[in-house]
Amino acid sequence: MSLAADRTDTTARPAEGPRDLRLAALTKEFATFTAVRSLDLTVPAGTFFALLGPSGCGKTTTLRMVAGLETPTSGTIHLGDRDITWEKPYRRPVNTVFQNYALFPHLDIHENVAFGLRRRGVKDVDQQVQEMLELVELESQARKKPPQMSGGQQQRVALARALINRPEVLLLDEPLGALDLKLRRSMQIEIKRIQEEVGLTFVHVTHDQEEAMTMADTIAVMNGGVIEQMGSPTELYENPQTTFVANFLGQSNLIAGTVASAEGDVVRVDMHGTQVSIPVDRAHTRTGAGWVGIRPEKVLVAPAGEPIDAPGNHMTGGVVTDVSFVGVSTQYLVRMPWGQELMAFEQNTGRRKILRHGAEVDVSWRPEFAFLLPADQDVRAGAFEED
Amino acid sequence: MRRGRFTGYWLMLPAALWLGVFFVIPFYSLLATSLYDPEGSVLTGYDVTWHVANFADALREHADELWRSLWYAGVATVICAVLGYVLAYAIAFKAGRWRNVMLVLVIAPFFTSFLVRTLSWKLILADDGFVVDFLQTLHLMGEDDRLLATPVAVIAGLVYNFLPFMVLPLYASLEKIDVRLIEAAGDLYASPARGFWKVTLPLSMPGLVAGTLLTFIPSAGDYINAQLLGSTNQRMVGNVIQDLFTNTGDYATAGALSVTLMVIIVAMVVLYIRKAGTEELL
Amino acid sequence: MAGSSGLSRRAVLRGGAGVALGAASLGVLPLFGTPDRKQDPATCTTRDLSDSERRLVVSNWPGYMDEDDDGYVSTLTEFQRRTGIDVSYTADINDNLEFFAKVVNQLGACESSKRDLFMLTDWMAARMIQVGWIQPLDPAKVPNLHENLIDSLRGVGWDPDRTYSAPWQSGLTGIAYNKAKVKEVRSFEELLSRPDLKGRVTLLTEMRDTMGLTLLAQGDDPEEFTEDQWSNAIDRIRKARADGQIRAFTGNDYIQDLAAGNVLACEAWSGDVAAAEDENLVFVAPEEGQMIWSDNMLVPNLSTHQAHAEEWINYYYEPEVAAKLAAWVWYICPVKGAQEAMEKVDPSLVDNPLIFPTAESLATTHAFMALEEFQVRAYEKDYADVTGG
Repeated sequence: MSLAADRTDTTARPAEGPRDLRLAALTKEFATFTAVRSLDLTVPAGTFFALLGPSGCGKTTTLRMVAGLETPTSGTIHLGDRDITWEKPYRRPVNTVFQNYALFPHLDIHENVAFGLRRRGVKDVDQQVQEMLELVELESQARKKPPQMSGGQQQRVALARALINRPEVLLLDEPLGALDLKLRRSMQIEIKRIQEEVGLTFVHVTHDQEEAMTMADTIAVMNGGVIEQMGSPTELYENPQTTFVANFLGQSNLIAGTVASAEGDVVRVDMHGTQVSIPVDRAHTRTGAGWVGIRPEKVLVAPAGEPIDAPGNHMTGGVVTDVSFVGVSTQYLVRMPWGQELMAFEQNTGRRKILRHGAEVDVSWRPEFAFLLPADQDVRAGAFEED
Repeated sequence: MRRGRFTGYWLMLPAALWLGVFFVIPFYSLLATSLYDPEGSVLTGYDVTWHVANFADALREHADELWRSLWYAGVATVICAVLGYVLAYAIAFKAGRWRNVMLVLVIAPFFTSFLVRTLSWKLILADDGFVVDFLQTLHLMGEDDRLLATPVAVIAGLVYNFLPFMVLPLYASLEKIDVRLIEAAGDLYASPARGFWKVTLPLSMPGLVAGTLLTFIPSAGDYINAQLLGSTNQRMVGNVIQDLFTNTGDYATAGALSVTLMVIIVAMVVLYIRKAGTEELL
Repeated sequence: MAGSSGLSRRAVLRGGAGVALGAASLGVLPLFGTPDRKQDPATCTTRDLSDSERRLVVSNWPGYMDEDDDGYVSTLTEFQRRTGIDVSYTADINDNLEFFAKVVNQLGACESSKRDLFMLTDWMAARMIQVGWIQPLDPAKVPNLHENLIDSLRGVGWDPDRTYSAPWQSGLTGIAYNKAKVKEVRSFEELLSRPDLKGRVTLLTEMRDTMGLTLLAQGDDPEEFTEDQWSNAIDRIRKARADGQIRAFTGNDYIQDLAAGNVLACEAWSGDVAAAEDENLVFVAPEEGQMIWSDNMLVPNLSTHQAHAEEWINYYYEPEVAAKLAAWVWYICPVKGAQEAMEKVDPSLVDNPLIFPTAESLATTHAFMALEEFQVRAYEKDYADVTGG
C-alpha cells in the first residue's frame, strides 16, 4: 500500500502536508429553521473525528458545508490557512462517503473508484485503483456494477472511491446506516483500521453513539445546531457536561439534589437526605439545585445491611423492582425511598447470587464517578432520541 | 400452484388479441399490398402476384422523398433532443413547485388537434407574419426570403409537434436520477460540466434513446407538416404514400414504399439501440 | 447428455417453427388481394319501396342547403310539406375520395350503401357511373331536368344525355389575385410566367382543374386532347415549378394564404373567393378560358326510394326552387329560368356573375375529358410526379 507515496497532483494536496480543519462561527439558516448556529470547531489533522447527534441536530448540514454542497449563511471554513468557505466543491481537497454511498450505477467498480483521479487527469490510474481495491479487499470485483454488490461491498467501494483521492479531509455521512448490526460492527473496525493506515483526517457523522465511541479519537456531540460538548469518548462518557450528553451518550441516573457546600476540590450535595460528594472538576454547578449523575455500571447494589465495596455515598431503603439478565451482566431497577428508580448494571462475576425482584437493597457508588449538572437543564434531554 | 400456471397466458390474451387484430393483420395486409400486381386498380381489383419489382419501382421513383424524410426527421430529432433535454432538465431539477405546471404545459398542445396546431404555424411563419418581419428588420432575412414553404418551416413544424415525445421520457429518466450522484461527481472533482457529461447524461440515456425513437419514427412518416408548411420541394415520403393511396390509387407502389420505409426505420432503430448501449429497450 | 440433446432438439424445433411460420405467413398474403369492384346497374337492383315508405335518404356536402329561419321556409322543408316524404338529410360528404372510400366496399360488392341520393363532383360521378354503381334516372320522372338544365352543362362526355346524373350546383375554376398586393392578373399563362409573381403562386392539387387550365393556356381543348398535348401541358407545369414560379400545390386551404399575402395570385374556385368575403380578393376568368365543374346528384344501386329521389331532382329543377337555393348557397345555379325567378327572391342577386354567369362567360367554360380507369391512373401519376417529384 503506497498511499503516502504518490502526491503528484496539485488540486487536492497542498505541499505542506496535512492541516487542521477549522470552522469559525459557522451558521446555516434555511427558510424555516436554523440548522447550524455559530459553530466553532477545530478538527486536528490526522484525527478521526465524529459529529454525533440525533437526526436534525445539524451534523449533516455541517458536513455538507465542509464538502461545499451547502453554502454557509455566515462564518468561515479553513483548512490550515486556506479559506475554503466559498470554494467550489470540486476544487476542495475534501471527499465524501455519502449516506447510501451514491455510487455511479452506470460505471463498474473500477471506474467508480477511478472517477476522481480521472477528473484530475492523474496518470497511472489503473495501478492506484488496483491498490485501493486491494485495501478494501474488493480487487476481484473490479468489473462488477454497483447494483450487483451487497451493501457492505458497496460501502467499501464508496470508501475506496473517496480515499483514493487522498483528501485532506474525508467526510463520512452516516456511512454505515444502511448495514445490519453485525456488518456495521466489522465495518467500524475496518474503517478505523484504514484511517490509522492512511493517516488522513476523517470526519464522521453519525447518530449512533456506540459507533462514534468505537471509532473516533474525538467526538463532538451536537444538539439543536450547536455543539453540546466535545472531547475524547472517555471524557464525554465519564464527565458529561450536560444532561443531553449524559443521556444521549450511554445512560445515566440523574437524581435531584441541592448543593450544600463547595469547598476545596469537593462539592457536597444534599440528595434526598443523603450527602454525596462530587469532585469539583466534575461539578458543573456550584450553587443551588442540581442533578447528581451516576452511570448505571458505577452503581453498586447489595442486599440490605451487607457491606458494599465503596466508600461513601451510601443509601439504604432501596427495593429491586426489575431484574434483566443479559448474560455478561444483570440490569436492575431499584426504587429508592424518594420514589425514583435507579438503574444499576452488575457484572455477572458469580461473586454473589443474582438479586430477586422485591429484594431490599442498599445502593452506593464511588464519589469520583458521580457528576453534577445544573438543575435548569432538562433531565430527559437526549434520553429518547436515539434511533 | 399448478392452478396458477396458465394465469400469465390468460392475462396476456387481451393484449395478444388486440395486437393480432390491429397490428398483425394490417401488417400482413400492407405486406400483401406491396406485392400487388401494379396493373390492378381500386376498381378492377388488385391481386397478390408477388411482384417484388414494386420495391425497385418505388425506390427508383421516390428515393428523393425517402431520403428527404430521413434527413428532415433526423434534423428535427437532433433539435428536439437539444431543446427537449434543456427543458426536461429544467423541469426535473430547477422547476421546484412549478414542476407539475410545466409538465402540464408540455402536454397542453395535445389538447388541441395536430392539424390545428400545425395550421397555426402557418400564421406564425407567414411571409407577412411577425417572425419574418422581425428577421427582415434584423437583416437576417432578405426582403424576398420566406420561411413558409422551406425546409426550415417543415422541420420547425416537426420539432414543435414531436417535442413532447422527447421531453416526457427524458423527464422521466432525469427525474429518477439521485441528486446525490451529481453531488458525488462534484465532490470527486468533476466541474458541473464534466459532471453532466460523465454522470447526468449517461444516466439519462434510456430517456434520450426512447425520446429519440418516439420523435424520429413518427417524424420520418409524417406528411401533415410537409403538406401544410412545405412546398412541392419539401414533400416527404408520407406525402407520396398518401398521394399514391388516395389520389393515384397506385396501391402497389404505395405498399412497397410503406414497407421500405418500415424496414429502413426498423434497421436504423436496431443499429441505434445497439450503438447507444441500451439493448434492454428492445 | 439428456440435457444437451434436449437443447439441440429445442433449437431444431424452434428453427422449424420459424420456417413454418414464415411459410404460413407467405401463404396468407394472397388473401389480402382486393376484388373487382365493377357492377351492373341493370342487375344490381332491388324493389323500390317508395310507394309504401315515404322516406328519402340524402348525403350532401356541408353548406349546400338553405335552412329554416324565422318565417323563411327552406326548400327542403317545402319539399317535405309538398310531397309528404320524410327526408333524412346528412351533410357527410367532405371529400370525393373520402366518400368513395366510405362506399367502395358496399357498392363495389353490390350491397346497399343505405343512401338514396348523393352529390359528387363530375370526375367522381363519372367514375362511379363507369363502374356501374349508379342507377339511370327515368326521364319521364325528371322532366324539369331535361327541360331546364343550362346548356353549358349538357352533353358532358361521361354522361352525354344526363341519364345518370343531375347537376346540383356548379362552380368555376379560374384564377384569383390579391388586388392590394399585385396588379391585375388576367391569364393563366401570367400565373406561370409573370416575374413579379415568382414564388408567390399556388396551383390546385386537383389534376383536372390545373391540367384543364394548362391545356387551355396551351391552346388545347381539355375536353378532347391528345397524348402529345397532355405531355406538353405536363412539361409546362414542370418547368414553372422548376423555375420556382410555383410555391405549392394546395387543396382547399389556399384562400388564407392569398388573403394573408403569402400568395399573390393562385388558381382558385369561384365559390371560395365569394365565401371569403374579402374585397381585395378578385376572381378572374382567365383569358384562355376557365374550367366548369358540378356536383351531381346520383342515385346509387340498391336505393330503395329511387322514385322519391327522382321527385327530389325534379323539384330542385323548378326555377323558383333553384333561385331560392342559389340565393342561399352562392354557387352557379344550373337551372334555366332561375335568374328570372330570382327577381322575386332577391333582386340584388339577379345579375351576380358568380350565381348567373353571363352567356359570354359560360361560353368560355370547359369541362375535362371523361377518362377510363387506366387513363386516370396514368394522368394522376404524371400529375403527381410534377406536383411531387
